[in-house]
Amino acid sequence: MTAENGALAGAGGVIHDIGYRRYTGPRLGRPAIVRALVWYSLRSSVGIGRGAKAKIIPVIAFAVMCLPAVANAVAVAQGGHRVVPYDTYIFQLRVLIMIIFVAAQAPELVSRDLRSHVLPLYFCRPLRRLDYPLAKLTAFILACLALIEIPLLLLYLGTIAQAGGPSAIWDQTRALIPGLLIGLLWAVLLASIGLALASLSGRRAYATGSIAIYFFLTWILAGLLDSVSGGRGPVTGGLGPATAGARLSGLVSPFTTLDGVRQWLGGRSRGPIPPPGGYGPLYGVMFLLLLAAALGLLVARYRKAAIS
Amino acid sequence: MTAQLPLRAGPPGTPGPGPRAGAAVIETTALSKRYPGAVTALDGLTLQVEPGITGLVGANGAGKSTLIKILLGLLPPSSGQAAVLGLDCVREGQQIRALTGYMPEHDCLPPDVTATEFVTHLGRMSGLPPTAAKERAAESLRHVGLYEERYRQIGTYSTGMKQRAKLAQALVGDPRLMLLDEPTNGLDPAGRSAMLDLVARIGSEFGISMLVSSHLLGEVEQICDMLVVIDGGRLLRADSMTSFTQVSQVLLVEVDEGIAELAAELAARGLRPRQEERALLVQIASAATYDEVRDTVADLGLPLHRLEQRRRRVEELFREETA
Repeated sequence: MTAENGALAGAGGVIHDIGYRRYTGPRLGRPAIVRALVWYSLRSSVGIGRGAKAKIIPVIAFAVMCLPAVANAVAVAQGGHRVVPYDTYIFQLRVLIMIIFVAAQAPELVSRDLRSHVLPLYFCRPLRRLDYPLAKLTAFILACLALIEIPLLLLYLGTIAQAGGPSAIWDQTRALIPGLLIGLLWAVLLASIGLALASLSGRRAYATGSIAIYFFLTWILAGLLDSVSGGRGPVTGGLGPATAGARLSGLVSPFTTLDGVRQWLGGRSRGPIPPPGGYGPLYGVMFLLLLAAALGLLVARYRKAAIS
Repeated sequence: MTAQLPLRAGPPGTPGPGPRAGAAVIETTALSKRYPGAVTALDGLTLQVEPGITGLVGANGAGKSTLIKILLGLLPPSSGQAAVLGLDCVREGQQIRALTGYMPEHDCLPPDVTATEFVTHLGRMSGLPPTAAKERAAESLRHVGLYEERYRQIGTYSTGMKQRAKLAQALVGDPRLMLLDEPTNGLDPAGRSAMLDLVARIGSEFGISMLVSSHLLGEVEQICDMLVVIDGGRLLRADSMTSFTQVSQVLLVEVDEGIAELAAELAARGLRPRQEERALLVQIASAATYDEVRDTVADLGLPLHRLEQRRRRVEELFREETA
């Protein structure tokens, strides 16, 4: 105890409480608050700041997603060529990992807050009504983007490490850029659909279930439609021209829609659906429709939540 | 409807950004809110709230929560005006929310984070920079008495502790005004009085104005400087607590026998007694009332059991007014 405190105590009372101090420092505006919410949500979407259990799925998803890039690096190092395409990556693996990641982590971002009724505590702060869902969406798009693009970058680095000369590096770079752009389309669409579906339920299990069921069922349905409409199945041996039905079958699933867009925009690698040919623009429209529906659902959900 | 309130401070300030000095903390004019389906939550509410602790009292469904949402700029009124700290609730809601702390009525805490993490995050959401948010979170939790338990997950808290954590998140941004919606909800009597003490301390010692809603009048009257009573979305009465107590001084007289006799005699002497259980209540008009009552009992030769001055509970006043 300092002499001053002792004197005060001697003067007739002991001060135990240092009292309330007003905050006189700077107060950040709405843009900074939204950025803080994006950062906080991005951390929680990959399990940082949560328990060890919350990190399991993000870590495993990321590790598995990187495996093809690692395998490619090994193959290239042993004198081979790049074995994994930039525009499709390993399509089936990417679909599987994204379904698991989105279904597991989208509820982490929105369902928890719905479940514990935290939203009024956000809405009573200097945020606008839609700042919350848009910050969550931005964070989740960034998380999905990292999961898709970092393996692509590893693939690129593993390839150019052995490339002979600047022209080879330039070739690889030119091939990579469209792949990154397609990855961006994936991240935006899947994160939007995932968050919109997750925002419908405060119960994590329901949210995860509805996302997984939607993604899996439409994915299977797209394959089924492709088969029954002749596709590139046994009839043509996968080589002949696809039927109109097969060309359109990809529209039912977000993953095949994304692949239709890729092929329409000039992606050459073989995808899960036949090249859409003249139906290409339809895939572009479908992409926008799915995105608009997901964003509309998300906005409607939080417009309603804000006043209740 | 209009209500002439004795609480009016200076003249209304000039419009402009930022809180205006001298303005009432809360000011509403003919404020109405009708929900679809002909539900009227607020009906021409006009009131002024000055700095200090104000109780907002009304039965469940009287419009308390609707009023708080309008004040926070989260709900547009159907008609009329509302201003908080001199800021318009419709146009300047964002500025109002930067200066206001809100404690919702219902449970609003995630169970799987620690109080420190949660309050820090909400401090960030109130616009505090990272370091300041951490410091203010620790300080807020200390003020509400959760300092020792601040690293525990909120899910392990008791109801009383959860209410304190809710209060801490409202306090973290150093607000000018706190809106507390039923802060004693779900607490046992000991928890209630502890919470009320805490609210009273924040209101008086920290210099933060408070609007405390409750459906229990007897509860908030202990800590409030002012009282606003609404019923069915209308203002029933708004006044300072002192003006309530001025009219509420009564003398309680209890005799072992002959209560009817005493009542008759007091009435004859013009004191208008009112029976309450086994005692009589007499309005204290002046110091002479005490002598008058004493003399009456002595004259009748009744065994006096108890004679005490009592402040009538505000609740009784309203019961009379609405009856």
